[in-house]
Amino acid sequence: MNWEWIAGNLGQIVDATVDHIVLTGIAVGVGFALSLVFAMLIYRDRRWYSPISGLTGVLYTIPSLALFAMLVPITGLTLVTAEIGLVSYTLLILTRSIVSGLDGVPADVVEAADGMGFTPRGRLARVDFPLAVPLIVAGLRIATVTTIGLVMVTALIGEGGLGNLMLRGFNFRNYTAVYVGAIVTVALAVVADAVLIWLGRLATPWSRAR
Amino acid sequence: MTGAGGAAGSPGATVEFERVTKRYDRAAAGVPGAVNDLSFHVPAGRICVLVGPSGCGKTTSLKMVNRLIEPTAGRILLDGVDVTTKDVTELRRGIGYVIQQVGLFPHLTIGENVAVVLRLLGWSSERQRERAEALLQLVGLEPATYRDRFPSQLSGGERQRVGVARAIAADPPLMLMDEPFGAVDPIVRERLQNELLRLQEGLAKTILFVTHDIDEAIKMGDLVAVMRVGGRLAQFGTPEEILSAPADDFVARFVGVDRGLKRLSLRRVGDLELQQVVHVRPGTEAAEARGLAEADPFPYLLLVDEGDRPIGWIPDDRLPADGALDADMATPMSPLLDRRATLKDALSLLLDSDVQVGIVVDRRGTTLGIVTVEMIADLLRGGDPVVWPRGAPDAATPGTAEAAGS
Repeated sequence: MNWEWIAGNLGQIVDATVDHIVLTGIAVGVGFALSLVFAMLIYRDRRWYSPISGLTGVLYTIPSLALFAMLVPITGLTLVTAEIGLVSYTLLILTRSIVSGLDGVPADVVEAADGMGFTPRGRLARVDFPLAVPLIVAGLRIATVTTIGLVMVTALIGEGGLGNLMLRGFNFRNYTAVYVGAIVTVALAVVADAVLIWLGRLATPWSRAR
Repeated sequence: MTGAGGAAGSPGATVEFERVTKRYDRAAAGVPGAVNDLSFHVPAGRICVLVGPSGCGKTTSLKMVNRLIEPTAGRILLDGVDVTTKDVTELRRGIGYVIQQVGLFPHLTIGENVAVVLRLLGWSSERQRERAEALLQLVGLEPATYRDRFPSQLSGGERQRVGVARAIAADPPLMLMDEPFGAVDPIVRERLQNELLRLQEGLAKTILFVTHDIDEAIKMGDLVAVMRVGGRLAQFGTPEEILSAPADDFVARFVGVDRGLKRLSLRRVGDLELQQVVHVRPGTEAAEARGLAEADPFPYLLLVDEGDRPIGWIPDDRLPADGALDADMATPMSPLLDRRATLKDALSLLLDSDVQVGIVVDRRGTTLGIVTVEMIADLLRGGDPVVWPRGAPDAATPGTAEAAGS
C-alpha cells in the first residue's frame, strides 16, 4: 500500500467515487422508472407479463462485455452506452419485485378496500403500493448492489468510476490504486445496502410492529 | 349506548331483492356461487341473515348489493333505488362492509383504519380522529391504548371489533357482513355476536349478514333467508317461523333435528312467566317462617338479603323449631340466571347443577322468581309454561298443586 500515492491523488479517488455513485444512481433510477411502467402494464393486464418478463430476462442473460461490444458501434464510447447496459440489467429484478409486491397484497385487504369505495387509482396509491414497499426495497437492494459491481465493467468503454481507477492501476502496475478501487467499491455497496434497508424501515413502521 | 360518539345517526335503509339472478357461464346451473331468481324484502333497521351450505350463493348475493359482483338479471333496490344506477364508489362509501378475514390495512394504524372511509369522504383530519376515537370506544377498545397500534399487534377478536368500527364509521344506513365472526374462536364469537346485537339496539342499521352457521343465523337474525345450492331461496321468515315450520325437507334438515332445542335460544328467561316463591330474610322468626311455608306449595323458602338478593334455600322440613332464621341455615344455592339469559343457556345450566331450579335475577341481583327444567320442557312441547309444582312428586299439598297447574 503506497500511502503517499493515496494522499497525493485523493482528488482523483473522490472523483472516481462520485462518478461511480452517479453511474449507479442513474442506472437504478432510470431502471426503476422503466420497471414501474412495465409493472403497471402487467398490473392492468396480465397478458403483458410474458412479453415483459421475456424481454427483461433476455437482457439480463446477455453477458455485459458482449452487450457493450454490441452497443459501441451504435452509441459510441459514451455515458449513454454505459447506462443502456447498466439499466438493462436492473429491469428484470426491479420489474419482478414491483409486480410480486403488488401481487402480494392480501386478498382480504383488496376486497375490503374495494368494498369500502376506494377508486382503482386510490387503492393503488394508498393500499397496494405502500404494502408492496418491503418487496420493492428488497429488489432495489439487489439491483443497486449488482449495479455497483457492474459499473466497474464500464471502465472498458471509458466510464467505470472506481473501475477506471482500478483499470489504470493494472496498466501502470500501481497496485495501490487497484486496492483502493476495490475497497472503496465494496464499501460503497455495503453503505448503499445499509441506506436502503434504513429507508425501507422508515417507510414501513408497520412491518416491524408485533 | 345510543348517544356514544354520535353513533346513532341515519336510520336504516330498506333492501329489496327483485328476482335477482347471477349466472356464471361455466355451466347452466349448479355452479357454486350462482344465484337464481332471488326475491325478498328487508325492512329498515332489521338484521337479515342469509344462511345456507357453502356454494349456495349467499356471499354472491351480498356482493351484488355493493356491486363487487354485478347481477345477470333482476334488481336490488336500496331505499327504492336500483343500486346499478348509482355511482359505484359513492354506493360503496355509503355501505358498511365487514368480511371474515377483516381486511384491515396492515400499514395503517388502528385509528387510521377506522377513519379510512371518512378520509375517502374528505373529512378533516381533526374530525376523522375524533370520530375514530368515539368508534373505538363504542366497540369496547380504549382509544388511548389502541389508536396508534398496527393491526398485527391485535388479537383476532380485537381486529374484528376494529372491522366493525370501520364499517360504521361513516354512519351508513346499510351494513353488509360476510361471515364476520367465522374466523374467531367460539368464545370470542359469542362475545362479538352479543356486542353486535347490543350495538344494533342503538344503531338500528339495516344489516345483511351472511353465515353458514344456522345457530348464528337464528341468534342474529330478525329475518332469516335460508338458501340452497343453486342459489335458490328455500325459506324466508323470522327465526321462529323457520324453526317451527320449516318449508320443506331441505330446510328441516338444515336447521337440524334439534330445532326444538334451538327455539330455546330465541326465548329469554325474562320472557317466561316466572314461578314465585316465598322470600324470607335472616332474622325472621321460625314460627312465622313455618306459617309462610305451610301456605306455599313449594317445599323450600328462599332466604334473601335486604336487597332481595338470594342467599340460599331453606327446606320447609328443616326450619328450626324456634328462634330466628340465620344465613347459615341456607343450603347451597341454585344457579343464578340473568333475566336476559336465553332459555337454552338456562336449561344447560340447570341440567349441570344438582337442583333443577334456577333463581332468576335482574341486573342488580334482585330476585325475580324461579325457573324449572319442567317449565322449559313444557315450552318445548309447545304448551304454555307451567307453574310449579304440576306433577311434582314432592309437592306439599296435592290440592294446591292442581290449582297451580296450567
